[in-house]
Amino acid sequence: MIAEEHGDGALLLRPQASSSAAPLEVPSAVALDGVAAGVAPGAILEIQGLIVAYGPTVAVSGVSFSIGRGEIFGLLGPNGAGKTSTLSAIEGLVKPRSGTVLLDGLDIRRHATQAKSRMGVQLQATSFQAELTIRQIIRLYAGLYGVKLTDDEIASRLREVGLEGESDKPFKQLSGGQQQRLSLQIAVVHEPALLLLDEPTAGLDPQSRRQLWGRIEQLRREGGSILLTTHSMEEAQAVCDRVAIIDHGKLLTAETPRDLIEKHKDDPRVRQVAHGAVTLEDVFIGLTGSEIRD
Amino acid sequence: MTSLEARAGPSVRIVFTSLFRADFLVFLKHRRALVVSLLLPIFLLLSTNASKATHSFGGAEFIIGLAIAYGLAATSIVGYALTVARDREKGVFQRLRVTPAPTWTIMTSRLAMQAVANLILALVVVIIGTRLHHLSPSIGQYLLVLLVALLGGAVFLSIAQAMVGLVRSADTVQAIARVLLAVLILLGTLGQSGALGNFWQDVARWSPVGVVMTLFAGVLNLHAWDSRDTISLAVSCVYIVVCAGIGIRWFQWEAR
Repeated sequence: MIAEEHGDGALLLRPQASSSAAPLEVPSAVALDGVAAGVAPGAILEIQGLIVAYGPTVAVSGVSFSIGRGEIFGLLGPNGAGKTSTLSAIEGLVKPRSGTVLLDGLDIRRHATQAKSRMGVQLQATSFQAELTIRQIIRLYAGLYGVKLTDDEIASRLREVGLEGESDKPFKQLSGGQQQRLSLQIAVVHEPALLLLDEPTAGLDPQSRRQLWGRIEQLRREGGSILLTTHSMEEAQAVCDRVAIIDHGKLLTAETPRDLIEKHKDDPRVRQVAHGAVTLEDVFIGLTGSEIRD
Repeated sequence: MTSLEARAGPSVRIVFTSLFRADFLVFLKHRRALVVSLLLPIFLLLSTNASKATHSFGGAEFIIGLAIAYGLAATSIVGYALTVARDREKGVFQRLRVTPAPTWTIMTSRLAMQAVANLILALVVVIIGTRLHHLSPSIGQYLLVLLVALLGGAVFLSIAQAMVGLVRSADTVQAIARVLLAVLILLGTLGQSGALGNFWQDVARWSPVGVVMTLFAGVLNLHAWDSRDTISLAVSCVYIVVCAGIGIRWFQWEAR
């Protein structure tokens, strides 16, 4: 399945023609459990042997993977699997116990400012200063990335996401969908090389979700790479070039959705949960188990 | 130019300017809070306008010093601490931390804005106070008042920083801030006047409000500057170093 944006901004999901539709420079192999292998030259993000721990609790255990330029990469996992901790380590919000994270060749710990200036981030729960208007928030975040925007440019950016009449409102007065669109627009205000999205469609209605995926597709077409987490297997299957499944802090697998299904369709654990044709969700549940996580 | 330099992020100047402009806009939205912080100092100045009350505090300079100290304590201990605790709880800091802005610029910008607020407050109170109590400070003394306002403000800001460093919940910070402010005001008013006896007068004298009040009184009457003023200066610096040290050492950017 691939996502295709129509002129009206709606997203159409259709079957992927062939695996050759994947973008250029996608690493051919992904290292699992801390064993680095086959990292493609020119990857935008390279993670090797990442370990994140909170006191005695290890949230991410030796995760390694890389993301190619122009690739949409989905990080999937049950609640508490280590997705957000992995993103937090990339974003510089938590200090990994060990491992390296290279963004466009820059070590994110040694060159934090340079690395952060090349990534855009949409956190799971975004909050901006309640006292500021949307226009002021955009100006602040543009400034933090060294981007100077005129009022006309800000208006144009707001128009792109259908918020042209809301520029003088505070963030909290926007609807959930509007907040999400604004957060995404702020995350890309500096045209980052890599966009990190933590559950970007959580809590959105179907219309807002489709609009968001359309926007993400557009960003990829403009040359950006995207790393996202989601609980929606259908969306991951439709939009992501590759997906990785993480559980209990360990990376279980990373393939194109098509290859992942092909590889695991005969796995007894997957067959047990599948109803008819095997989907990405069947593979996911087969590999991570059916029990509910908190 | 190396490739690293070519790919360097935004300059600290640009980042700081953006943060300070945003903090200034937030300050403007909260300007009513500054006006409210002025009410207690002005009430104190008006209610002690009679000579008898003034003498019990050590003179008009001490009354003005006490009034400014109250104002600085209110804006810093309640205002600054609560804003930081709430923004932390809402995730505002986390959003700022994923940008190229160095973390020290995020906090320094807020402190700088608070210092500006403290200067405005001190200037307003000292102008009203000297008029009401018939004092005529020189331009140099006004400048010294501003300098002490920065130092005194730093005393209360460092206490506020220690609070948000040790306590994560915004509700708890709010409760502690109010109790602490009430204690400092009572200690300053009753303890300083001697109404609670010699022991509490000594405690009040070396409390944060006491030492800041003494410094303001000292610069408003430079001829009477003595060892008590010098020791107050040293004690203020100790408060700043210890409380800021605690506040920075244990500060967490996340509320959880």
